[in-house]
Amino acid sequence: MSLKKQDEMDHNAWLKSQDLTVIETAFLTTLIWLDKRLRIVDYLELLETMYYRANLQMPKSHTEQYDLDNKFWYWYPLYSLGSLSILAYLVAAVSGALLGFYYSPSTAGAVAQGDPTAAYDSVIEIMQDVQFGFMLRSIHRWSAQFMVAAVFLHMLRVYFTGSYKEPREVNWILGIVLIGLTLLFGFTGYVLPWKQLSFWAAQIGVEMALATPLVGEWAAQLLFGGFTLGQATLVRMYILHVFILPFVVTALIALHVGIVWVQGIAEPH
Amino acid sequence: MTDDNHTPTDVPDASPEARAMTDGGTDEQARTDGGPPATVPPDDETPTWTERKERSQGLSQLTYQYFERSRREDEDLRAASTYVERDVLGFPTWPHETIRNLAISSFFVGIMLLVSALLPPHFGDPANPGVTPAIILPDWYLYWSFGLLHLDPINPELAVLGGDKVMSDELYGLVAHGVIFGILGLVPFLNKGSARRPVEEPFWAGLGVAGVIFSVTLGVLAIQNLVPIELDLLLNLVFLLPVLGGIITYAVLKTMREGYMYDLNRRYYMLRPPK
Repeated sequence: MSLKKQDEMDHNAWLKSQDLTVIETAFLTTLIWLDKRLRIVDYLELLETMYYRANLQMPKSHTEQYDLDNKFWYWYPLYSLGSLSILAYLVAAVSGALLGFYYSPSTAGAVAQGDPTAAYDSVIEIMQDVQFGFMLRSIHRWSAQFMVAAVFLHMLRVYFTGSYKEPREVNWILGIVLIGLTLLFGFTGYVLPWKQLSFWAAQIGVEMALATPLVGEWAAQLLFGGFTLGQATLVRMYILHVFILPFVVTALIALHVGIVWVQGIAEPH
Repeated sequence: MTDDNHTPTDVPDASPEARAMTDGGTDEQARTDGGPPATVPPDDETPTWTERKERSQGLSQLTYQYFERSRREDEDLRAASTYVERDVLGFPTWPHETIRNLAISSFFVGIMLLVSALLPPHFGDPANPGVTPAIILPDWYLYWSFGLLHLDPINPELAVLGGDKVMSDELYGLVAHGVIFGILGLVPFLNKGSARRPVEEPFWAGLGVAGVIFSVTLGVLAIQNLVPIELDLLLNLVFLLPVLGGIITYAVLKTMREGYMYDLNRRYYMLRPPK
């Protein structure tokens, strides 16, 4: 065997033999460079499929196909509520990430009972000192309200159009879980500014947890960091709100939408 | 003579494989570079679908059998259906659907920004563990839940226990949550079939309306100290209004049903006349 590579193709000579413009040469040179390292050619088929997918036509819905939208089924705007809640979730995520730059989850700084804490002060700072901060907090709060409202209305639409029926039970139950998590999202966010109402809402939460038989004390310690509210509670609410819930809820939303994709929209007959 | 013209004359340039085979007169025995790996089985040894089914036992065999049945069922349904191939009838994803979705999305985001600009959020006093505020309220979307926690007046007292309650008022509220979520989760297992409109199933529509009204009345119960109604009356209303709303919905839909279904069926049979 000779040591020389047997199947070496002289791509550069081939490039030169072609009569190419500058753009084409640059493109092909980049492509060849990348392909030598990453074997793009192996993924070409996938890319092709994606290209044709993007140029596919969306199937017409039943009402569009038979030109019935004017009289037959007039609930179609309500079919966008699910995507609207995702949109509000995204807006809340972006504005929340920006708020997170300035917020500090700490109850330090209160000399006497009722003094503003570091968390409270940081929200005040966001609203008064940070450029665009007041609007940012407003956007975050309102997008959360919109998301919860859209989720509730989405559930009503699914209920009243019978979209939860066999074979879509799993997605209905997943939706109930998602509603619960959305409400938990809202609750944890409500606690974070450590205002009077935040504190007493959390207080009710602790009392509810403690009222649960068997697991109550364990749950109170896990979620609220103890039986009385304080620094531990605030940090746990913060971690739930900015770390745990975002991952869980995003994953479940992806699953929820994925199941809809696989099973198809439950259209009126 | 003509045969000679067809014989390939450019053997040295044919292909890398051809060159490799004639490289330096090496044969299989003389190779020292290992050759092709010996562990990969030839293609024809890979069991086919049928062979796998025959070889497998127990649960995996049952799985294969079910898959086969399910596929046959699909094929039968497809053969029997009058379904129209639809992707030639629709709008292209790009640009039509994409632009439409972008328009809807930006409209909705714009509405959110507008509302945030017009209605800035309220910000209250700092937390004070020493002073219980007169009004404790969560955000509006938890009013129903807070209302469930205010159901303690109807927590039953048992005469056997000397007027003691079976469970604490807090636990009673928690159990109520469990009941609500349990009922919601059971809905798809109780209501089946292909009906898609409220008018086709007046009972379930009535139940839904009752649920919606119940969530509102529970919210009112949560802010009971702001409502100028006596607690007994309020509690009665909390439970009676949903029932009333449900009954009215049921009656209306039942009345509408005949005419509506007539119209629906007429339209349906105009589109797809019975064979």
